[in-house]
Amino acid sequence: MSIFSLKNPVAIKRWQRFKRSRRGYYSAWLLLLLTALSLGAELLANNRALLVHYQGQWYFPTYSNVYSGEQFGLDYAYEVNYRDLQQHFADQDEGNWLLMPPIPFGPLETDLIAGDFPPHASSLATQHYLGTDTSGRDVAARLLYGFRIAILFSIALLILNYGVGVAIGCLMGFWGGAFDLIFQRIIEIWSNVPFLYVIMIVASIITPGFWTLLLIMAFFGWTGMTWYMRTATYKEVARDYVMAARALGASGSRIMFRHILPNSVSTLVTFVPFSVASGITSLTVLDFLGFGLPPPTPSWGELLKQGTENLESLWIVGSVVVAMTVILMLVAYVGEAIRDAYDPKQFSYYE
Amino acid sequence: MAAYFLRRFLLIAPTFIGITLLVFAVTRVVPGGPIERMMTQAQLGGESGAMQKNQGSGGTLSEEQLKDLAAYYGFDKPVLTGYAEWLGKVLQFDLGHSTRYQDPVWDIIKERFPVSLFFGITTLILTYAVCIPLGLLKGMYHGSRFDAWSSGVVFFGYALPSYVIGIAAISLFAGYWDWFPLGGFVSDDFDDLSYWGRVQDVFHHAVLPLIAYMAGSFAMTTFMMKNALMDHQSADYMRTAAAKGLSRHQAVRRHATRNSLIPIATSFGNNISVLIGGSFLIETIFNIDGIGLLGYEAILERDYPVVMGILVISSLLYMVGNILSDLCVALVDPRIRFGGPATA
Repeated sequence: MSIFSLKNPVAIKRWQRFKRSRRGYYSAWLLLLLTALSLGAELLANNRALLVHYQGQWYFPTYSNVYSGEQFGLDYAYEVNYRDLQQHFADQDEGNWLLMPPIPFGPLETDLIAGDFPPHASSLATQHYLGTDTSGRDVAARLLYGFRIAILFSIALLILNYGVGVAIGCLMGFWGGAFDLIFQRIIEIWSNVPFLYVIMIVASIITPGFWTLLLIMAFFGWTGMTWYMRTATYKEVARDYVMAARALGASGSRIMFRHILPNSVSTLVTFVPFSVASGITSLTVLDFLGFGLPPPTPSWGELLKQGTENLESLWIVGSVVVAMTVILMLVAYVGEAIRDAYDPKQFSYYE
Repeated sequence: MAAYFLRRFLLIAPTFIGITLLVFAVTRVVPGGPIERMMTQAQLGGESGAMQKNQGSGGTLSEEQLKDLAAYYGFDKPVLTGYAEWLGKVLQFDLGHSTRYQDPVWDIIKERFPVSLFFGITTLILTYAVCIPLGLLKGMYHGSRFDAWSSGVVFFGYALPSYVIGIAAISLFAGYWDWFPLGGFVSDDFDDLSYWGRVQDVFHHAVLPLIAYMAGSFAMTTFMMKNALMDHQSADYMRTAAAKGLSRHQAVRRHATRNSLIPIATSFGNNISVLIGGSFLIETIFNIDGIGLLGYEAILERDYPVVMGILVISSLLYMVGNILSDLCVALVDPRIRFGGPATA
């Protein structure tokens, strides 16, 4: 397709225009970097050590099997507490050492500090850089893992929504007639149904997991793309080149896949950043209300909820709001730059 | 044109039936309805009440009682029949009784109207009063430092969902600095206050929610206004105006402003649903007793008559609002003709 292979002069022009808006360009790289970092979240925030040097041997506990305490000369058979082990090695001073991740806590691990009730304020001494939440779990670790889930969720949702939306919208525009009319009504009903209501009702019966939640949300979310695709297809079908292709005997599917889709899909790219943002937002809303992913899952919405219930622990709300602001601003900047790149008219930012 | 709008109005009916039927069916399929709630209540109440009555059944309801309950709530009929009956009542302006409060749904909704209306109207006025001049100024001084700075602020509101802004505002200004109350619509001693004191009290409570409400629509309207003005500034008629000897300010004021308002008119009708709907998220965060919070609690409590009642009102308003928007556009811009090819 013309968007990906940059041979098409129009695509090259767009790419250059995109690069020229520096804010959007750097935001895109930063966003990619953050996503890549969150994919390796285990290396950044974990209660397992990155590497252990014990009696001349190297261990990499992050992605390996569980090591028991006995393997490192401790007196218990359950999983090693690497933070204690680090202390232990330091006390022994026998040349053994280990390297902890920058945030030495897992997202599900509760770290209770004696003599104090959680939430604990952020402090460098305890290595809870953003403090802990109400059950003593590290906020920074939960933020990081929460971001990973949110961004993956929203990308998966985007693929589903666009897949269904583009398919149905294209058919509506291509076939027209009764099919178009029926689906118009269906979409009108669908997009008028208070989708959050239905999700809340459904989610309060079954506890949704990642995939069920994704399917429910895609079930109600595909309508947005359909309208654009329908209009775009209508526009393309009426063009002379489609008539020419028809006259030459091209089949319907060939016209659709070779002519209409490549020509109309490219503008859908301008909607992608905003769909990513709305995916993150709606997952966070559901988690905030308690209808999203089940409890121990690290999520921004759940942190927001804890934060609003404990307003005196400002670090909880503060961390999530700052994280959300950064991510959503980056996404919005990228979106703005893509819009600019696709819109040859100068000075217009939004429709 | 008239035919087009007539058709649009007629199409409201099938869409309305579709929406309500869908949600009605969902409420039927979902377990945990009012009857189940009654049963748990009876079981809980049975602990203490069992001494006086129905000792034999141990607090649970008998088959007969269950049937009576099902009939009372209309759960004994198939979905379609139940829906037809419900629709018949709605057509007679009867939204039924809340299963939670036992009051007529209409009365419950009516009680919350003033609060939602207050926020809706204030947000509407503030948004238009601030965004239109701001957009015009930004358009006239495009690229200036003022433009860049205000864009930063406006963009902030655009990128963040309004409920997050609400949470940030309440935790900073109410939780941390204690400048504003933590929620609610009025203080407890509201009735004892003087008239002026009451006005102050309402606005003291309303500042933070209003910020959250405005944040969402603010960016859209401002940028729409700015872009429209910038499009018009390069139009031919502006050059003519300049050639006639008007200054840039005069030309913008006399010619471009009016034309730039057209895109704003496009979304004007949609305000009608925002006006009374309110956002249940913002209302939940600030604990404001409006329609939004009512709907949210109704779902939590499985108070389906209230859910359906709110759905009826909000979906009707939404559809009417959409048509109103089109009507506004047609009124403001005489070039636009809906329905059928343009007659030149």
